[in-house]
This record gives sequence, structure tokens and C-alpha cells, in this order.
Amino acid sequence: MTLAELLGPGLRGPWTWRKAAAAPLLVLVRIYQLAISPLLPQRCRFYPSCSAYAVTALTRFGPLRGGWLAARRLGRCHPWNPGGVDHVPEREACRTHAAT
Amino acid sequence: MGDFINLILSPLTIGEAWVMLAWHKVWTTIGIGGGWAWALSIVGLTVVVRIVLIPLFVKQIHSSRRMQLIQPEMQKIQAKYKGKTDPESRQAMTQETMDLYKKTGTNPFSSCLPILLQSPFFFALFTVLNNLKGIAEGTHPAIGPITPAVAHEIESSNIFGAPFSSTFLGSTDTATKIVTVVLIILMSVSTFTTQRQLMRKNLPDSALDNPFMKQQTVLLYLMPIFFALSGINFPIGVLLYWLTTNVWSMGQQFYVIRRMPAPGSAAERALHERQERKGKTVTPFSIRGLERDAAAGAAADETVQDAPNTVNRQRQQPKSKKRAKRSGPATGAAGTDDAEGSAADGKPTDQ
Repeated sequence: MTLAELLGPGLRGPWTWRKAAAAPLLVLVRIYQLAISPLLPQRCRFYPSCSAYAVTALTRFGPLRGGWLAARRLGRCHPWNPGGVDHVPEREACRTHAAT
Repeated sequence: MGDFINLILSPLTIGEAWVMLAWHKVWTTIGIGGGWAWALSIVGLTVVVRIVLIPLFVKQIHSSRRMQLIQPEMQKIQAKYKGKTDPESRQAMTQETMDLYKKTGTNPFSSCLPILLQSPFFFALFTVLNNLKGIAEGTHPAIGPITPAVAHEIESSNIFGAPFSSTFLGSTDTATKIVTVVLIILMSVSTFTTQRQLMRKNLPDSALDNPFMKQQTVLLYLMPIFFALSGINFPIGVLLYWLTTNVWSMGQQFYVIRRMPAPGSAAERALHERQERKGKTVTPFSIRGLERDAAAGAAADETVQDAPNTVNRQRQQPKSKKRAKRSGPATGAAGTDDAEGSAADGKPTDQ
């Protein structure tokens, strides 16, 4: 495993201030992905999986909003939800959505 | 950070301590004492947690039983990506498969909720076991009913000579090492059996032939290594909890596969054979509202196509071309809400 693979998409560059602020949370998610997730059979009903979603959300929106988006996604990942493809909103899309 | 997590978990930790003590009382009342009473208290605690989670499991069974119904669509996706092994195609295939699950309300995966609900219990037990020594010596405050006296009692009891709070790496005791290894082997065997049985017997062939399941098969063989790596860091008591939870999953699955097999699976054929032998009428599993699924499925297709997603625009291209050929011009309005897609399941998404 190369260093880049070990770090995963969340902890590799390029770094923004948002991503840096979310770094502690990104480390936690990465620990989950490397140490805990392999112990469990695949369970996430979504694509991308909740942890991959969390990495993108934290990188794109920082610890507060990204953390909130990730928590909401985890809240959606239950047996009464059919799952499917569910991407992190784009920054632009999110802003227009908030405005309307 | 650690203190904060402990504070949040404290009600759970205390609750768990009470459940353990209650079980301990049950075991001592019926004449089981010493280390085994504590070991069985941990088992009892696990069983309580798993009973609470049964409704989640039942719902999951119903959605995975629909797998057979989407077989034709599944085969179309497989044919489309046949022989393509580059990461982009694999990813696109995963995405389309997931999309299909959504629009048909079918999903072979159990969702993140069960593990999300179970992990605090796991960490709470970890906290209790890790602090036993401290409580017994008076350096850590009592956890609910686990007073210094009780902590001392648990600390001094053992199974096969291995104390509950000892770990493989943190102890020089041979008994602990042997018990840890045995528990890790049992955990690996139970998980392996559960997973393999699910894949071999209770999934239709179409469900097996896709990238997730291929990946699952690889992971299945790596599982014992992961168990060993984390098991040597965990106290015996936590391993006991973990083993019980795995064995519970195995039993639950045996029951389900026997009584409610997935359509098109080997287990269903076995059930029908048993029913015929007993002279009962064979009633194949069917689901109402299949047409409704198809209609709602088309709506979900539109949703995905219209989603403003720059990341996947490229990969979705071949999909829309194919869809255009198959189903003619798009009829759904732009910006179709996600809820329409999931209406196939008759339940709203909570977005």
C-alpha cells in the first residue's frame, strides 16, 4: 500500500482551509475505513458508501456543514430507505438550494 | 475527545452495567457461579442488544427477498459491462446497480444503522472492562452498580484461567493468549459460515455476479486476518461479546434462510422440496405492485439523469443513450424529487 492509498482521498492534497479544519474528523473516518470497516460485511445501502460520502462532504464543506451532511446521510442509511446513488451536493447547488 | 465520548456514552455504560448485573443475578440464582456467571452475563447482555435490533433485521430480509425480481434488469447491467475491468467501468456498474436497487426498493445490504446502534454498546462494554482494575483499586469512580467490591469480584474471576479484562498483547499470561486465539478462531468461523451461507444459499445467481459480491468473496477470506489484528488488542470480555453477536447473526440467518428464503435461491428450492415431501401446497413468494415498481422505476431514472452532478456526467453518458433507445424520449420533468424514486417502496425518504 502506497502512502497515498493509506491516506485515502480525504487526507491527500490539495489542501484548502476547509479541509484542514476537518482534518481531525477525516482522520477518524480514515481509521474507520482502514481498521473497522474491513471487519464488517458490506452494509451501506448507498453509493458512494457513508464513509466515502463523509470524506467528500467534509472536504467540500468543512467540519460543521460537512459533518452535518455526513450525519444526515448516516441517518438515512436504515432498512426503510431503499438506498441507491446519493452524492454529496455541489457547493453551488447547495447555495441555490438554500436560497430558494 | 476521549472524555467527551465517555461522557456521552456514560448512560449506556451504566445501563449495560445494570443489565450485566441483572444477568449475573439470574445465573447465580440457578446455581452457576464464578467466572462462568460473568461470562454468561456478557452473553446475556449481547442477546438483549440483539433482540432490540430484530425489527431492523426483519425489514432488511423483506427488501433483500426482492432480489430475484430485478434479475432481468441486473442481467442487462451485467451484459453492458461484460469484460470491462477498468476502475471507471466498475464504478459505473456499481452506481447503476445501486440505482436499480433504489428504484425497485430492493437492497441486499443491511444499511449502516445496525452497526451504528451496536457500536456504542460495544464501546460501553469496552469502557466497563477497561476500567475494572481502576474501580477495584479505587482509582476510577464506580460505574453504576459496579462498585469497587463488584469490580474486584469480576477482576478475580476468569474463564479457563483468563481474566475478562486481560488482552493478548497486554498480558504475559498463557491462558489469556490461548483463550484469545480460540475466541478469534471461533469468531472467524462463525462470521465466515454466516457470510458464505448467505452467498451460497440465499442469493439468486444474478445477485452474485456483480462487483460487490466479488469483492465480498475476497473480503470473506481476509476476515480472519482482520479479526486477529484487532482481537489481540481487545479484552477477553469484549471478544466474548463479539463472538456472541456473530453467533447470534449466524442463528438468525439459519432461521431466515430456512423459513423465508430469497426467491430464486438454492434455499428456496430446498424449502419447496420440503413442503412437497410433507404434502403441503407450494406457494411461491410473490410481491404485489410489480407494475408500480416499473412505473416508479422510470421516474427514478429521470431523477438520476437530471441530477446536477458534474462528477458523474461523463460516466452516465452511455447509460442515457441506452435508455433513450429502450424507452424513448424522457417524460419526467427536470428536477424530479428524489421521493418519487423511492415511492416504489411506498415509503418516503427522510431527506
